[in-house]
Amino acid sequence: MSEVIETLQFVYAPQVVNGLAIGVAVILMALGLTIIFGLLDVINMAHGEFYALGAYLGITLVAKGASFWLCLALVPVVMAAIGYLGERSLIQRVFHSKDRHILTLLLTFGLAIIAEDAFKLVYGPNPYKPESPIPGASELLGITLPNYRLFLIVAGAAIIVAVWLAVYRTSLGAMVRAAAFDSQMASSLGVPVEKVYAGTFAFGVALAGLSGVLLAPIYSVFPTMGKDFILLAFSVVIVGGMGSIKGAVIAGLVLTQVQSISSLYISPVWSDPLVFGIMVLFLMVRPQGLAGRLGHG
Amino acid sequence: MAELAVLRTAVEAGERTVIGGQHLLAGSFVALALVFAAIAGATGDTFFFRLATEALIFAGLALSVDLLLGYTGLLSLGQALFFGFGAYVSGLVLKHVAPSFWAAVGITLAATLVVGLVAGIIAIRARGVYFALITFGLAQVAFKVVFNSRGIGGSDGIIGIPQIKVEFGLFAVDAQSPAGFFLVTLAFMMLLYGTCAYLMHTPFGRMLMAIRTNESRVPFLGFSPWRAKLAAFVIAAVVAALSGSLYPMLRGLVSPELLAFQTSGNAVIMVVIGGVGTLVGALYGSVVLTVLKSVIGTFTEHHLIIIGGLFMLSVIFFPKGLAGYARPRLERWLARRTERA
Repeated sequence: MSEVIETLQFVYAPQVVNGLAIGVAVILMALGLTIIFGLLDVINMAHGEFYALGAYLGITLVAKGASFWLCLALVPVVMAAIGYLGERSLIQRVFHSKDRHILTLLLTFGLAIIAEDAFKLVYGPNPYKPESPIPGASELLGITLPNYRLFLIVAGAAIIVAVWLAVYRTSLGAMVRAAAFDSQMASSLGVPVEKVYAGTFAFGVALAGLSGVLLAPIYSVFPTMGKDFILLAFSVVIVGGMGSIKGAVIAGLVLTQVQSISSLYISPVWSDPLVFGIMVLFLMVRPQGLAGRLGHG
Repeated sequence: MAELAVLRTAVEAGERTVIGGQHLLAGSFVALALVFAAIAGATGDTFFFRLATEALIFAGLALSVDLLLGYTGLLSLGQALFFGFGAYVSGLVLKHVAPSFWAAVGITLAATLVVGLVAGIIAIRARGVYFALITFGLAQVAFKVVFNSRGIGGSDGIIGIPQIKVEFGLFAVDAQSPAGFFLVTLAFMMLLYGTCAYLMHTPFGRMLMAIRTNESRVPFLGFSPWRAKLAAFVIAAVVAALSGSLYPMLRGLVSPELLAFQTSGNAVIMVVIGGVGTLVGALYGSVVLTVLKSVIGTFTEHHLIIIGGLFMLSVIFFPKGLAGYARPRLERWLARRTERA
């Protein structure tokens, strides 16, 4: 019996906690993606690059002498402004055409290509490893865990709850849901739909930037960091249901645990194909995902 | 009845000019390629011949993307899956079975029919953006599996693929000869293009266009969109794989990057720049992208910023692409000429 407990304590528990730390970060990314899709029908292929941009803005500000905590507050604001302008100047140009799904996907794909190369141009191809803002580790139930990961889990969970409250418990969130359900009806009731679209896109981009800042001390910051991470975020969004907040949270937790625990048994290089395999399976069997779309229950 | 006959003549005349415009563009493509071959051959060049051959090979991949996007309305973000599959099968056949062009192409064709059918049954269950994502996911799974499989070279790919001669019965072309293999590839790609262009003017092609326009209405007319989409998917897979099968003959190696998202993404860029739904645009798009990359690449290694920018500009301001812009003008010119005659 004690052996079982020890295995649980020393083999599984650290994996579960690590999985949770990645999980909340992925959920933050996935929330941005899924809210943007739920409202605008836009598959944001540049979301991973917005995440990288957040991380790069963070290290730039730290190099200029700002503290990590200031970055955490400042970067989302800057990212939101970038997102707002991006939506108004790019997405809106093709938003009203017939093939808007494909055109917006292509447009954000082009943006991703430019951004990745721009990072290489400005910051060079080598990875940066920022110092952990909360160094040290604490012992919890007999296992040692890095303090920063524990902070990440708590802060991430708080942000997820805040997003949920903002979408479901504020009048601004009600406008977003109304516009997602029926934009023409919402517009005729006085919801400034155009501004809601741009604002929602900005909100999703800010979330991506925030997760970039939060994850930079754990993973390093490098030009293709977004590309490696976006696949996982896409899998979460698809399994959870495109445009579903609840689904993204559930799928984010489950998929990162699958990835984390499976790496005990199979080589970590195979855990990516496993997660993508689950995603493809969902697209085949249940393309609408686990839960319903934003504004549709 | 009289009105019907008038209508029919008008429609047929219109179609003739559309086909005429497309033939003209395809003909000029071959003519330009031959002029290039004559100049490069006269100067004894190797580098540009190899580059142009590679552009032609990737044009085949772009062709298969346009077949799905331009005619069936399905955006594939994972067409490199079949391109890379063809390259790997061909490379393995050349290395381990027989160093023969026809064996490599034949086995690739047979294997892709099976793999394309399986992947198609999985992928075409999804519609719209979900199709884009499922092809993206499938290609990523395949890329990671190939990248981590030691048996087929893992991240190094397959190297040391033997050099071959392309046997044509009466004569043989050495794949090592830059000009010879360029002409073989040109003929091969024009054959693929011609087959696709012919298919799009059959009732099957009309069905695909009907699906693109309004898929929900097709069953009401008594046809099965599922079957036509599956057929289009398999044909596109075969076109991509056959193009890929020439790659190891040119380079003597195969790497997992051929299956990567970058390869699929490049093909989409080629199609959008060249003109969606024109087929011939895919050929021009591939040449334009290859030229851009090598020209800008001589000035800066950050050519992706410029290519990405051009791509975005063309999505916003030039959504019909090069061929989509040129074709109606050529058609009007052709129509004026026939009127005068």
